[in-house]
Amino acid sequence: MDANVTREVYLDYQSSKPVDPRVLDAMHPYFSIKFGNPSSLHLVGDEATKVLEDSREKVAAFIGANQKEIIFTSGATESNNLALIGYAMRNKRKGNHIIISEVEHISIFNITKYLERNGFEVTRVPVDQYARVSPKKLESRITDRTILVSIGYASNEVGTIQPMEEICDVIKRKGIAIHTDAVAAEGLLPLDVNEVPIDLMSISSNDIYGPKGLGVLYIRDGVSVVPTIIGGGQERGLRSGTENIPAVVGMAEATQICSAEMPEEAKRLSSFRDRLIKGVLNKIPKAYLNGHPTERLKNNAHFRFEGVEGESLLLSLKDRGISVSTGSACTSKTLEPSHTLIACGLLHEEAHGSLEFTFGRFNTESDIERVLDVLPGVLERLRGLSPLYEKELIQ
Amino acid sequence: MKSTQYSEKTLDHFRNPRNVGTLEGENVAKGRVGNPVCGDLMEIYIAVEDDRIKDIKFQTFGCGSAVATSSMITELVKGMSLDEALKVTRDDVADALNGLPPIKMHCSNLAADALHDAIKNWRDGIIPKDISDELPSYVGKECDAPEEPYKGETEFLGKGVYNAVGDPGWFRDKRVLINDRGEASAELAMELEKFTGRVIYMTPLKEGEMNVDIKKELMKSDVKMLFESALLEIMGEGEVEKVLVHDLNEDQQYALFVDSVVILRE
Repeated sequence: MDANVTREVYLDYQSSKPVDPRVLDAMHPYFSIKFGNPSSLHLVGDEATKVLEDSREKVAAFIGANQKEIIFTSGATESNNLALIGYAMRNKRKGNHIIISEVEHISIFNITKYLERNGFEVTRVPVDQYARVSPKKLESRITDRTILVSIGYASNEVGTIQPMEEICDVIKRKGIAIHTDAVAAEGLLPLDVNEVPIDLMSISSNDIYGPKGLGVLYIRDGVSVVPTIIGGGQERGLRSGTENIPAVVGMAEATQICSAEMPEEAKRLSSFRDRLIKGVLNKIPKAYLNGHPTERLKNNAHFRFEGVEGESLLLSLKDRGISVSTGSACTSKTLEPSHTLIACGLLHEEAHGSLEFTFGRFNTESDIERVLDVLPGVLERLRGLSPLYEKELIQ
Repeated sequence: MKSTQYSEKTLDHFRNPRNVGTLEGENVAKGRVGNPVCGDLMEIYIAVEDDRIKDIKFQTFGCGSAVATSSMITELVKGMSLDEALKVTRDDVADALNGLPPIKMHCSNLAADALHDAIKNWRDGIIPKDISDELPSYVGKECDAPEEPYKGETEFLGKGVYNAVGDPGWFRDKRVLINDRGEASAELAMELEKFTGRVIYMTPLKEGEMNVDIKKELMKSDVKMLFESALLEIMGEGEVEKVLVHDLNEDQQYALFVDSVVILRE
């Protein structure tokens, strides 16, 4: 990093969030003082049972659910596994067809590939240029063998919010179950299972500033799944393994903070987002916004820049103390560009030139100003190196 | 190892690349490898005197290691005889940078190939010129759509495929692919771009073969240019959802998500 960088600017909240200090305080006693196992029948165990169920109630209230409908897991990936594999296996006599979209999280993609190898058929419904699923198009893919639809509440990459209510209307009318991975939307949109009739919903603790290693699957009363982790029968037999009580307490505390602060936080984050989008599009030639112009998460700004490659951008910003993400293949394990950007209709070279900014609780306005100070110069330098960018043509 | 776990030397060449630019003159040859689809494109220019590399410059679109390897090779071979330079391998470049992450050894370590290409072009007498000055202006005849409709064109006619455009406003928010049929199609592309925000102009021509004035106008606009590409098939369920594109340069096929395909037919 340059010597003149005074502090780091973290704009990658989508990848990881710090645990809120208030959450950490709440968790602390449960590592050593209150260390009980809820399965134990003695006093120490009873104390653990009580805090587990109190926490479950808080988490349930966060999404308008009933306590019974909350299953703690090790994270959103496990929740997605339990939802898709658990539901598909439990209901395979009704049918073997599952519908997802082209912009689902990689865990959903890979779980459905696993299901395909095990006798299920999976359809990926295309999206529009903003990554939005059309309820009409979704409806056209339904067959009499369809048992489950899984559509992410919002894109974890380009931040586009899906029309969930309309999607549910279409799906529920046909008596088909719907799952949503709501991780990207968590803490940014009110998630209420009474308003939106979701059957299964994955959420994670870290995405609301709780500890990693804990997630939740919401399972609507009356919806059945088989467990994907078998053992001592914890979590009503649906997720065995001794409960991670410190993390459960942390997540419960995180939901309380989130509910109290969301309205103010939303205003703050959307002002950052709008300032960054406006600034970047005004200051930098041949810069484009990816994702929906209005139906987008309040903490997401996602751009592509003609004639530059994302990893080069990321490295240059890293040198200046700014942490961001890119959809470029050059940073992925498979060397494939982001499937979400490709599904939006971008060419590979455009997907390579994309940059994702996600803000959060501990950003300040000066972070945004710093990006706007630094980014135009970085783009100019990299475009100067590139044979693809002909300056004289773009005046 | 993370794909971006670079050595200090690699980072130095990325941050302060040596010998960036192009060369001109009687004694200059150019080599080019990679393509933007896979994320890397390198061009190396050599100026040759007495069978030696007297000067060398590069331009690169790509990730950190693509920039660094290009920069490194220019330092390595400057002053070498052409035969010596031909012996410089990808591994030599990676070694000179104190190693590259394994995942980058193949995809982003093309500088040696670009250099060898330049030397080959020099020996074959292929001199880089502004090709667009050489060729007759493109008038659109070469790219007329074939008499036979494209695969899927008839099936989706009116359901995403259009042979004429009445009201460009109708295409609002749609991703439109227009195939190159000369000036009329280029003008239509720019008109549609005002309404849709996403217009891709597809032509089988190489960038240098296109009429300079049309190309300039298109590149000034926000129309996305897709050179050296041909339409293979229009696909979807009930309406157009994607097209299959043939990348003529790489001889590869890939799917591109679009909502509309405009093929102007009189």
